[in-house]
Amino acid sequence: MTLLAIEDLSVVIHGRGRQVAALSGVTLSVGSGEVVGLVGESGGGKSMVARSIVGLLPGGSQASGHVFFDGSDVLAMGRAELESFRGRGAAICFQNPRGALSPTRTVGRQLVDRLLTHQKLSPDQAREVAAELFESVGIRSPKRRLAAYPHELSGGMAQRVMISLATGCAPGLLIADEPTTGLDVTLTREILARFRQAADAEGRGVLLISHDLASIAEVCDRVVVLYAGTVVETGPVARVLTEPAHPYTRALLRSVPDLDGRPVAVTPGSMPLLREAPGSCPFAQRCTDSSERCTAERPMARLITGEWSTACFHPKTGSLAERVHGLDDIAHARHLEQAEYPLRIGEAPSGEPSGEIEAPGKAATTGGAPYRTEVVDAREVLRVEDAHVVYGSRFGGGGHHALRGVGLSVAAGETLGVVGESGCGKSTLARLMLGLQAPTRGRVEVAGRDLAKVRGAELRRLRTRVQLVFQDPIGSLSPRRTVADAIGEPLRAAGVPAAEREARVRAALERMELDASILERRPHELSGGQAQRVGIARALVGEPDLIVFDEPTSALDVTVQAQILKVIAEVTSDPSRGAVFISHDLATVRGFCDRVVVLYLGRIVEEGPVESVFGDPRHPYTRALLSSAPSLGRGFAGAGVTLTRDLEETDAARGCALAPRCPFSVPACAEREQELRDHGGSRVACHRAADIPGLIELIER
Amino acid sequence: MARTARTKERFASSLIVVGSAILITVVLAALFAPLLSSWGPEEIDPAASLAAPGGAHLLGTDLNGMDVWSRVLYAARLDLGVAVASVALAVVAGSLIGLVAGYRGGLLDDALMRVLDIFQAFPTFILALAVAALLGGGVANLIAVVALVNAPAYARLVRAEVRAIRDLPFVEAARTSGSSTWSVLWRHVLPNSLTPVRVIAPLNCGWAMLTLAGLSFLGLGIPTPEAEWGAMISLGAGDVVAGRWWTSVPPGLCLLICVLGFSLLGEGLQERADSKRR
Repeated sequence: MTLLAIEDLSVVIHGRGRQVAALSGVTLSVGSGEVVGLVGESGGGKSMVARSIVGLLPGGSQASGHVFFDGSDVLAMGRAELESFRGRGAAICFQNPRGALSPTRTVGRQLVDRLLTHQKLSPDQAREVAAELFESVGIRSPKRRLAAYPHELSGGMAQRVMISLATGCAPGLLIADEPTTGLDVTLTREILARFRQAADAEGRGVLLISHDLASIAEVCDRVVVLYAGTVVETGPVARVLTEPAHPYTRALLRSVPDLDGRPVAVTPGSMPLLREAPGSCPFAQRCTDSSERCTAERPMARLITGEWSTACFHPKTGSLAERVHGLDDIAHARHLEQAEYPLRIGEAPSGEPSGEIEAPGKAATTGGAPYRTEVVDAREVLRVEDAHVVYGSRFGGGGHHALRGVGLSVAAGETLGVVGESGCGKSTLARLMLGLQAPTRGRVEVAGRDLAKVRGAELRRLRTRVQLVFQDPIGSLSPRRTVADAIGEPLRAAGVPAAEREARVRAALERMELDASILERRPHELSGGQAQRVGIARALVGEPDLIVFDEPTSALDVTVQAQILKVIAEVTSDPSRGAVFISHDLATVRGFCDRVVVLYLGRIVEEGPVESVFGDPRHPYTRALLSSAPSLGRGFAGAGVTLTRDLEETDAARGCALAPRCPFSVPACAEREQELRDHGGSRVACHRAADIPGLIELIER
Repeated sequence: MARTARTKERFASSLIVVGSAILITVVLAALFAPLLSSWGPEEIDPAASLAAPGGAHLLGTDLNGMDVWSRVLYAARLDLGVAVASVALAVVAGSLIGLVAGYRGGLLDDALMRVLDIFQAFPTFILALAVAALLGGGVANLIAVVALVNAPAYARLVRAEVRAIRDLPFVEAARTSGSSTWSVLWRHVLPNSLTPVRVIAPLNCGWAMLTLAGLSFLGLGIPTPEAEWGAMISLGAGDVVAGRWWTSVPPGLCLLICVLGFSLLGEGLQERADSKRR
């Protein structure tokens, strides 16, 4: 039964002296008991769809078309009608759950208030219902949690509270706007499963909005792909994700690195910001197959089969996987040869089908494996020895132990991947490498010199040998300085004369494929992708020995992310320089790292060459990470491990940090610290590492 | 919402325009004072003491036989000058203290803040009164006094901004570029932490002017022969009872208009900063 039917919805926002066509003729539907994914990059209009459904369009916007909910048009509703419709008819879960909860009231109070507003309950009954609701979304000891304030909750817990708030009044439709952004992979799964449950067990319709196709693919029945405010493709998830018909859907899917190490395709350009409803195909400029017709008229949605339709004059057929491997449509592949590059080159781990078949023509142009570098001279550029970092509290006592004895080294020409979930100490490690943070214990050596033993100008000079590329590309540029200033800063600090400085800045800019006209712009005038290129240019311009990339693509859109990853792959392939790539996304790390370090709660739990860590993980935590990572390809081939509890519920003061969550833990685990020991090609901090494969088999049987 | 934001912005712009117009008029009047009046500010007309407005003296004369109109014009130079100079001094000194305290933190920060606490523990005007009495009158001393009582507020304002900014990625980026601490502070931290100062400073000019006039009124500011609004009001205050309004009302009105101009300008800037933040 169709619950929500959006018909030809257009939204134009009138701002100061300009207008934006946020949505142009969007048509989609959600049925009861169905989970529909709404995907696309930022600026595509995803949130605008959500806002239209609950009548929360921003001021100055004009909507036309219809949003039918249970037969009545939301756009035509009056205020009173709208109020009762929100909450009971459709409820929304926001992207930032902690921001959407009122900070001065307990979450229980907020939930009870909402229940009382929409349902005829006594306060006591409402409290009962609230506790039940908390339990149903997986909050343990719900009675206690009801009295908690939002700031006392972790991100995952806050999102669960949000879901309980949204489902509390039994809405027919649940809208979730990027519900898992900022959550760790192990939590993402669990939160998404709640939405599937809301559809299956409670018969609600769910509209799941996300920029990340891979993570929502598993729970959706159908997906709707938005591009520049238009629906480019819609259909059953199994079809759209494996044999997408629209070139944009293909580009989007192929831009995502995957655990199986398949090549990533780069689509140049970025999404246009439309001022009025498009008269042509909005993707035409970036499309490799665009014809004259594409730029002359706008393609309307055409049915392929059943529920599957696409808005393209020349839809593609055939499996995405085949096309990626270049086995069909050679002309198309050759067309892409400039843009396509294999992120992972090298030997495939045994037992896994080779995933790095290159596009035809590729080998001829680049000749061999350009991004995996041989370490010729093993000159060490960075060494971290038994580093501890404790963030003390101002009032003495306690303090947060961010790193607990981390040791690693990076050689010139090598790329080291550092992975782990939030709170594992990744960023502290990066700050340590840059000398922005001094170790409480242990030492950090850059180019053979202990950072703690140098001062003043010498320290500043040593610092320039390591450069950082930040997670937030725009925030890492000084708001009042121009791009030229930003890139030239390391040179200026080193006392390079102005003329040479300008030449080198221009050279760095060219290397990043940026136009010189960008030099006089300020950060707020840049797109995320441009800003990150500027950030990389700044890191490169002083020719450092080591570049640390701290989640460099996590703030970027998928197709832009692929562009930046390509740039990074080129930068890290330089044999004279070492690189550290920090990420929570395992698939990206697999792409171009030589070695990987897995961090958990400030400790290294596993370390080794990419092939062995990803192909044959020895530590239960690594295995859990790999098996819960979303994947559009083959994903992780081995047997998975499910951790038993959430991170915030555990207290690991003694012994193995993972012990409270590990399904294989025995009393001995909690008794002593685990040290890294050799297992095959890797080093693992688990005394049961040798037994784990056997134990997994036991569990699976 | 967008609509109200736009009306707000228009409102802010009109405040700024009106405020600036008032101030520009006053500045022009002060600059061209010799052309606008035929008497010197300290020139005594022996024939007329406490003459009513009209005739040779547009706004009459005061007890000493000095032309009120001319004195009111010339006083604008002094009052505006002292107000702007003292605020500028307060901004520079306060920002420097705030910058160092906020960026370094720790013991230095604590020490500086406690010293500021001492200054801020006294009501502003009482403090100004005490220091002025200690230092004595004169233009330079008055600038110092007014700057002293205003500087702690700027120090706190800038310190708060610096503390928020110092750990942002772009500051860390500058540090990892190998820039020296002063270069980081000067090129990156300071320019980005002055936004609230830009808004507060014009408002503060109005207050500074009132402080100056207040001190002069009480006889602690500019000694009499020199033209200053507060001192003029003080001199003419007794005349009002006798029906001679012209000796004290014109300087009072001038003070009012100037403070109004600064307030409107400051309010406008504040409104604009607010609407931009959203």
